Amino acid sequence: MRIVVTGMGIVSPIGIGVDQFWTAAVNGVSGIRTITGFDPSSQRSQVAGEIPGFDPASFLTAKYIDQTDRFTQLALLAAKLALEDAGGLDTYAPQRVAISIGSGMGGFGTFESSATRKFRNQPIPPFTVPRTMANAAAAWIAIKHRFKGVNLTCSTACSSGANAIGMALDLLRTGRADAVIAGGAEGCVLPLTMTSFEVLHALTTGSNADPARASRPFAKGRDGFAMAEGAGMLILEREDQAQLRGAKMYACLAGYGQACDATHIVMPDMEGQITAMRTAVLDAGMNIDSIDHINAHATSTPLGDIVETRAIKNLFGTRAGDIAVNATKSMIGHSIGASAAMGSIATIMALHTGTIHPTINLDEADPECDLDYIPNRAQQRNPRNGLCNAFGFGGNNASIIFTTLE
Amino acid sequence: MKEWNQIMDTADIEAKVVQFIATKVENLDASTINRSSKFEDLGLDSMDTIQLLFDAEDTFGINFDSEEAKGFTSVGDIVSYIEKNQVPTTEG
Repeated sequence: MRIVVTGMGIVSPIGIGVDQFWTAAVNGVSGIRTITGFDPSSQRSQVAGEIPGFDPASFLTAKYIDQTDRFTQLALLAAKLALEDAGGLDTYAPQRVAISIGSGMGGFGTFESSATRKFRNQPIPPFTVPRTMANAAAAWIAIKHRFKGVNLTCSTACSSGANAIGMALDLLRTGRADAVIAGGAEGCVLPLTMTSFEVLHALTTGSNADPARASRPFAKGRDGFAMAEGAGMLILEREDQAQLRGAKMYACLAGYGQACDATHIVMPDMEGQITAMRTAVLDAGMNIDSIDHINAHATSTPLGDIVETRAIKNLFGTRAGDIAVNATKSMIGHSIGASAAMGSIATIMALHTGTIHPTINLDEADPECDLDYIPNRAQQRNPRNGLCNAFGFGGNNASIIFTTLE
Repeated sequence: MKEWNQIMDTADIEAKVVQFIATKVENLDASTINRSSKFEDLGLDSMDTIQLLFDAEDTFGINFDSEEAKGFTSVGDIVSYIEKNQVPTTEG
């Protein structure tokens, strides 16, 4: 029994909807700009990947907007686009449609604004808790579309979206659901959240005057990640049932691997990453040599990109240099719990179109980053088996594998 | 949200409260809401009412006495309370 992707929805700094996103990605467009959501002048990192033109009022009533945080609104739009792309899921009983969403921070925008009000002795919005809670996005997608099946939220920092998709694979394989809306959402371009990453020296600070160059995974002199927001959603179904309802299919979701470093709360460890990738390949029933594309976690931090490069070289050996490795975050920044959902969509589009989008801002690679990262220009490589990596704080490593339909 | 810095008259208060209510219930025609409209008849649930009081507090710069607010059942109850309790503020 194969699990297939029948719909995709994305809300990204370089485009809303898969067509806009993919056209921009293939053309190497940066979505990193000076922050507009708040006054960033007191931040050390003043750039981010925000969603230009995102207007919740264009698809939500005033009541929905009152009761939802931005991360939920981003999730609702991505889910709407994915469902439209899949032609709806009306052929399934509502109890058989599950939702599996990842978010690292949940409704932190609401938390920050309500905390500010509380400390000023102003009243706080009554929906502060239901807006802030991490499972709000999954719950509102269910309410909006009346899907009554399993409803899960995974919060494992930067790997949340990958684990949510992996959990969806398990739900479909074990028969707990017939279809799953799976992905990630994050709305964390926020002053306190960004400052909190700044104090860990995780964010880029040296490109405030040149935002489009801020995110440069694998490049010499990179100095941290560019914060971003967004959402990505997949519609996943069993292949036989998707065929029965005449759905179009983009790719198979073939495998999921998970491993914890169990070493440090924020520093990455190569062993955990290798185990996650290897486990995903085994889970897909594949040979390690069949992987020909890796959508890397590659956030543009000095340490992270080196550790991931080493992990890939260690696992794939002499073949590592033949694999097309790219970094979606070079264009859209790092949207924490949404990032792997967006990376998955990039992976699926690579399999679907044959094109590997570039890693931009890669004029000179770090000597310790020596794989084929598809620098600056897209390449037609016709990959068949793509692996998407997501490594989060907590030493949480997740890898998922998509394959072409043949 | 904008803070009101002057005393509003009854009609303005009522118009503002009606505007808030209209956003709480789908397909509710604001022109049918008046001072005697009951929350229950308008389709406002208890959480909608709490949100409505928050909107009003935020806009008019007042604090509802929570015990007194529990007894509110109509648009007029809220409007009267605001009329009695609003004070000019200097906040912009």
